[in-house]
Amino acid sequence: MSLKTNATYYPAMPSAFKEKLLSDEFIVTSEISPPKGVDASSAFEEAGLVRDYVDAFNVTDNQRAVMRMSPLAMGHLLKEQGLDIIMQFTCRDRNRLALQSDLLGAYAMGMENVCIMSGDYPTKGDNPGAKPVYDLDSVQLLGAMNRLEEGFDIAGNPLESVPSFTKGAVCNTEPDQPLQLMKLEKKARMGIDFFQTQAVYDIGHFETFMESISHIEVPVLAGLIPLKSAHMARFMNEKIPGIRVDDELIARMESSTDPAEEGLLICAEQIRELKKVCRGIHLMPIGHYRHITDLFEMAGLHEKN
Amino acid sequence: MIISSSKPFEEILDNLDDSGKIFVLGCGVCATKLQVGGEPEVEAMCRRLRNAGKEVIGGGVAKAACSIKSKESLLENDPAIEKADTIIVMSCGSGLSVVSSLVDVPVHPATNTDSLGGYSEGHVRKDLCAMCGSCIADFFGGVCPTARCPKGLMNGPCGGAMEGKCEVDPDRDCAWELIYLRLKEIGRLDLLENIFEPKEYDG
Repeated sequence: MSLKTNATYYPAMPSAFKEKLLSDEFIVTSEISPPKGVDASSAFEEAGLVRDYVDAFNVTDNQRAVMRMSPLAMGHLLKEQGLDIIMQFTCRDRNRLALQSDLLGAYAMGMENVCIMSGDYPTKGDNPGAKPVYDLDSVQLLGAMNRLEEGFDIAGNPLESVPSFTKGAVCNTEPDQPLQLMKLEKKARMGIDFFQTQAVYDIGHFETFMESISHIEVPVLAGLIPLKSAHMARFMNEKIPGIRVDDELIARMESSTDPAEEGLLICAEQIRELKKVCRGIHLMPIGHYRHITDLFEMAGLHEKN
Repeated sequence: MIISSSKPFEEILDNLDDSGKIFVLGCGVCATKLQVGGEPEVEAMCRRLRNAGKEVIGGGVAKAACSIKSKESLLENDPAIEKADTIIVMSCGSGLSVVSSLVDVPVHPATNTDSLGGYSEGHVRKDLCAMCGSCIADFFGGVCPTARCPKGLMNGPCGGAMEGKCEVDPDRDCAWELIYLRLKEIGRLDLLENIFEPKEYDG
C-alpha cells in the first residue's frame, strides 16, 4: 500500500484579500457560520449563492458563544471550494498554546487572513457553564501574531517555519466613546491590516467615526446587517452594544408593506453611501443569503471578475 | 478579606447522611465580619441541625480558621471537637483546608468561598483582587481589570458593555468604565496608552 498525502503547504502564496486591501477596490466580505453539526452543505450552499460578489468569507468562531463546528475545519472545507477565507479567532475558548497552534494550523492550510476578537462571554451562549479562557486579550493576541511572524512563539521559542498573516480586528463605531477609540488605537499600533466594524445604520454618525480615526491608516470595512423588521431594529438598539438604528429607519420599516424588502433597500442605499466613506463592507446576513444577490445588484456591486 | 457566603442549609444536610456526632466550627475573622461564621451563625447552625435530627456535640469559633497552629491549639479552643465524627466549618475554603489537615474525621463546608474582596462603608465588595502576583493595579487607578472584568482584559474594554454596564451582568459596572472614571479623576488618563503584555502564569 502506498502512502499518499494530499497535504499542501502554501509558503509563498500571496493573499488575494491582502492585495485587495492594498488596492483601491471596494471590498466585500460576508459572514459564514459553521453548522451546529457535522454536515457543512448548508454553509457551502450559502457561500455558493454569493461567492461571485464576495472577496472573502469570514468564518465565525462559536459566534455569540454558541458551540458550532470548528472554524478551522469549516474554513478548510470552504477553502477547498476555492473561496478566500478570513478566519475569526476569539480569545474566549483557547489559551495561548491553543491560539498559536491553531493560527499555525490555519496558515499551513492556506488561511492567512485572520480577524480576532475577545469573544462574547460563555453565559451569552448555549453552553453557559463553560469555563472562559481569555488568557490573551485581542491586543495581546495581535502581539503574539507579530511574534510568530518574527519567527518566535509568544514565549520566545524559535519556530521552524514562519507565517505571514493578514491581520484584522473588530471595532465599534462610537466616536464619543473614548475607551473604544483607545482600544482601536492600540490594535492599530500592533500593526493590523484591516478593521471590521459592528453593524452600521447611521451613515452620518459613521462618517464622524471615520473622521475621528482619520489618523489611523487602516482600511475599514463597515459592518452591515440587513433589517428584516422594525422589531429587529428595536431589539438591536436595546440589546446589541454598539448598534444604533435611528427612528427614521425604524419608521420606514414600520410603514412598509414588505419590511424584508425595505430592509434590503435601506441596506443597498447604505452601501452606496459607504462606498464614498470607507474601504469596503462586511455583510452579516444572518440567514438572509437568498436575497443577498438582489441586495448586491441593488447596491451596484456587481460580480467580481 | 475573603468573601464567603452561606451554603443553602439543604445542601449542608445532604452531606451529613452518616455524620454521627457533629461539631460546628466558625471563624473569628472574615466569616464573622460577613456574618456567615461568627458566634450567632454557629449557634443558629447548631440549632438548625438539631432540629433536623442531627446529634450536635458542640460549636465554637476559632480565632482564625486559616491560621490554627496545631491540633493542640484546636483542642484548646474546645476539647469536645476531639469526640466529633464530623466537623462542619463555617469559614472560607482556606480555613476548612487547615482544619482538615489537623483532624482525622470528615470536614464539610457550610459556606461557599466567592472571592477576595473588601468590606467598606457597610457594604461587601466582591472580586477586588485576583491574587495574580505582581500587582499593577496602580496603572488602572486601583481598579484591577484582572479581578473586576470577567474577561480579565488588560488593554481596554470588550465591545460588550452597554451604558457602562457589564456584558455578563447588567447590574454590574463595566470595570473599564470604572478605570476610566478613576484615571480621569486623578488626572492620569495617559496611563490608558500603555500596552500590557500577557500575564505570566507560573503555577
